[in-house]
Amino acid sequence: MSRGDPLIRLEGVGKTFDDGTVAVKDLDLEIEEDAFVCFLGPSGCGKTTTLRLIAGLENPTTGEVFLRGRRITDWPPQRRGVGLVFQNYALFQHMTVRSNLAFGLEVRGTPRREVARRVQDMAARLDLEEVLGVRASRLDLSTMQRVAVGRTLVAEPNVLLLDEPLNNFQAGLREQMRAQLKSWQQQFGRATIYVTHDQEEAMTLGDRIVVMRDGEVEQEGPPEQVYGRPETLFVAGFIGLPPMNLLPARLDGSTGRVSLADASLELEAGTKERPSGDVVVGVRPEHLLPVEGEVDGRPRLRGVIDLVRPMAAKTIVDVRLEGGTTVRALTRGIVRGEPGEPVTLAFDPMAVVLFDRSTGLRID
Amino acid sequence: MSRAAHGRARGWARLAVAAVVLLLMMLPVIWLVSLSFKPPREWLATPPSLIPRNPTVDNYVVLVAPGIPKGTIGEVVGAAQPVTRAFVNSVIVVPLATLASLGVGFLGAYGISRFRVGGNFLPFSVLATRMFPPIAFAVPLLVYYRSAGLIDTRLGLILMYTAFTLAFSLWLLKGFIDGVPRHIEEAAILDGASRWRVLFTITLPLVRGGLAATGLFVFIMNWTEFLFALIFTSRTALTVPVQISQYASAVGRFYGPQAALGLVASVPVLVAGYVIQRYLVRAFTFGLVK
Amino acid sequence: MGGLGGVLGLRGGNRPPRGLRHQLIYDDRWFQQLMVLPMQLIIWAVLVVPLLIALYLSFVDWQPISGLEWWQAPFAGIENYRRAILDPRFQSAIVRTVIFVGAVVSVEFLLGLALAVLFNRKFPARRALSSLLLFPMMLPWVVVGLIFFLVFLEKGPVNYLLRVGFGPAASVDWFGRPLLALFTIGLGDVWQWTPFMFLVIYSALAAVPPEPVEAARTLGASDWQIFRRVTLPSIKPVILIALLIRALEAFKIFDLVFIMTGGGPGTSTESVSLYLYRTGFVFGQLSFASAAAILLLALVLVVSWLGLRPLRRELEL
Repeated sequence: MSRGDPLIRLEGVGKTFDDGTVAVKDLDLEIEEDAFVCFLGPSGCGKTTTLRLIAGLENPTTGEVFLRGRRITDWPPQRRGVGLVFQNYALFQHMTVRSNLAFGLEVRGTPRREVARRVQDMAARLDLEEVLGVRASRLDLSTMQRVAVGRTLVAEPNVLLLDEPLNNFQAGLREQMRAQLKSWQQQFGRATIYVTHDQEEAMTLGDRIVVMRDGEVEQEGPPEQVYGRPETLFVAGFIGLPPMNLLPARLDGSTGRVSLADASLELEAGTKERPSGDVVVGVRPEHLLPVEGEVDGRPRLRGVIDLVRPMAAKTIVDVRLEGGTTVRALTRGIVRGEPGEPVTLAFDPMAVVLFDRSTGLRID
Repeated sequence: MSRAAHGRARGWARLAVAAVVLLLMMLPVIWLVSLSFKPPREWLATPPSLIPRNPTVDNYVVLVAPGIPKGTIGEVVGAAQPVTRAFVNSVIVVPLATLASLGVGFLGAYGISRFRVGGNFLPFSVLATRMFPPIAFAVPLLVYYRSAGLIDTRLGLILMYTAFTLAFSLWLLKGFIDGVPRHIEEAAILDGASRWRVLFTITLPLVRGGLAATGLFVFIMNWTEFLFALIFTSRTALTVPVQISQYASAVGRFYGPQAALGLVASVPVLVAGYVIQRYLVRAFTFGLVK
Repeated sequence: MGGLGGVLGLRGGNRPPRGLRHQLIYDDRWFQQLMVLPMQLIIWAVLVVPLLIALYLSFVDWQPISGLEWWQAPFAGIENYRRAILDPRFQSAIVRTVIFVGAVVSVEFLLGLALAVLFNRKFPARRALSSLLLFPMMLPWVVVGLIFFLVFLEKGPVNYLLRVGFGPAASVDWFGRPLLALFTIGLGDVWQWTPFMFLVIYSALAAVPPEPVEAARTLGASDWQIFRRVTLPSIKPVILIALLIRALEAFKIFDLVFIMTGGGPGTSTESVSLYLYRTGFVFGQLSFASAAAILLLALVLVVSWLGLRPLRRELEL
């Protein structure tokens, strides 16, 4: 165990189930100590399977798993010291909260007094003292969640794995619980891997986000990078509410000019020569501004309003461009407008991301 | 990969253990089958053989035509009576009692499931008929039956079997009816259908499978019932299990025909049991365990 | 609002009175009562009235042989009860049956549990084997009795195997000695009903959700700890129900004893049911049998109430 080893390392890990479904393909991933990493992706993208591979509940068909530099691919979950909080919490329904919390310590043969002390301590920190004697089957959702988290943390795992723990909550409560989770993580200081399909959750919670799709990592990095500099078309279309506008265009490699259906824009000076070809222009909705007339030299798109959706502090305007594609603009405040009204949208060329249409990768 | 191979080896080990257990379990039945095809000389022959040396179907023939004069078997089982009467009785009594039990049980189950008529008391009092040893009911029922002239009649048995399988019909069907969402019925009622119409054209078809499973189970219970048949029938209305016991306790030791009769009597219930094996847990526990 | 008043046309006034036919078809309350009517009749006919008759009979001295009808029989007070309680044959039949039930149900439970655990993991031909395993419990009791009678005959296959294994003297008279005879009957019961325990536990195990088990694994529990502390407790209610039902059922045992030993040698294998059958129907002491039956009902009621208590605690908490 050398110092520089990451907490968890996956090397070429793949998982194919008995029925032939490929859940995870050739995954390379490193999780640092104390990190809060979110696995984000649509359902079926392999994020939960990855979690289970780390926990040891699944065995990879290819590749190796390392814990602080030690190869643990063949270790059963019991040996790994990995705490997993299940989506439905998987509490021991027939036990009291106290027994649930004590379980992980007891099965490892921790002395009775020590168990009692640590359970008491955990109950105090998670505000569970009053329900210690209650059967798990009688708890409400948020208490169940606290018990589930407490049950894993009390055993002091190397890493805490959370599988969509907020899925069962209603919208309002979700935000509250999110804040709670974040504060626990800071308080307990455990490396945490958090699986979710909710990008808001991932954005607010994660120090790092791993965007997955079809069993592969599309992009990983800090939230602002995943949001601001999506590496693939998929990430660009998946992240953001509403997601990034993706417009087909052509790049003239020699001049560095990108021509859209309606507007053309110069690429930043100093860009190296590129082959000409079909590209996709990505613009975040908040970078599209409805403007009156020709105010400045910024590139603009002309079209008619399709739909105006005021959402209190902001408004989403759907605009059908002359070429037929629809883009979304996100503006502050309430914007009035009738469907059918002509509108001009301006955008900052600096905020634009270009993708190669055939590979789906970003062009710098 | 070695892990998978390891798992497969374990699977085969489990299969081996299970097969041995099953074989041990089957042995007595295999012996019964073998015995039923043996001529009298081999019934108690030493050493016994699992496969009859001179296989014969005489043991089966003698069930329907006793006293066949020639050969050893006729001499041995000359005293045996034909089993046809018992089979005719069972074939009449058991299905009728089963249908009656289903009918009463279905109506009751519907009333209890939908309206909770009779609260908790009614369904549990039905359960009580199964909780106590049936012999305890036999004495007072004998008093009834004597004055009503129902002793040794098929009707008497049908009534009795209807009553004592009601607990199964009621509780099992209640479970199935509970599974039919109320709002389907409510929609039909809003459309103007009467309660009866809803019951027979909406609910009944929806629990058809449950009805069939319950019916087969009640059939098994009725077909195998022994105590009441023993007490309340003698010559005219005797059923198959009573016939078996008469064979078994007869003075003549005609083991071959006994085995044959036992096997023949078991076939209907084995078939029924196989068909409803998915429901057996539910059935034996009155639907308390699903 | 319908009810009796409606039927009799007593309801005043403006609305046309609704006919009986209409009531029967549309009025829920009529409908509800009609639904349970046949069932009620049966309950009265086979539960309530018979119990009352039995109660009555238990306090008179009626023997059909005397020529008197049962309602003419002389009052006997608690004489029948006194005799029943003091009857050593009745006492030993009860004790014997209770011990028998305890023994066979425990064995069936343990074997059933072991088989269920064996079948709880996938292996080749699992489905086929498990459904094959169930057939004994479908067989008529009398046939099971017949099978075990034939197999344990003095010149039967079991004794032959014993002689082959342990020499010519190893042959056993299975039905000739009380304990051996009881053991043989118990074997028949275990053979027939272990599949029931297996089936109940097996399906309960299959219904245990995988997540708590996985959670226990990540928390460091060994397979044995998981089984003892997570899996088994979560199917405990089902096990309790199965044990209770099986025990009540085994307590009724009659057919096997009747076929295999007829209660013999002597009365040494007589079960409670067989004892009552003999006193009531063979010897015609119906009053005495009634008193014994009432005592038996009381006993079953108390025992099953006690048996239900842990179950209720389990299900309510």
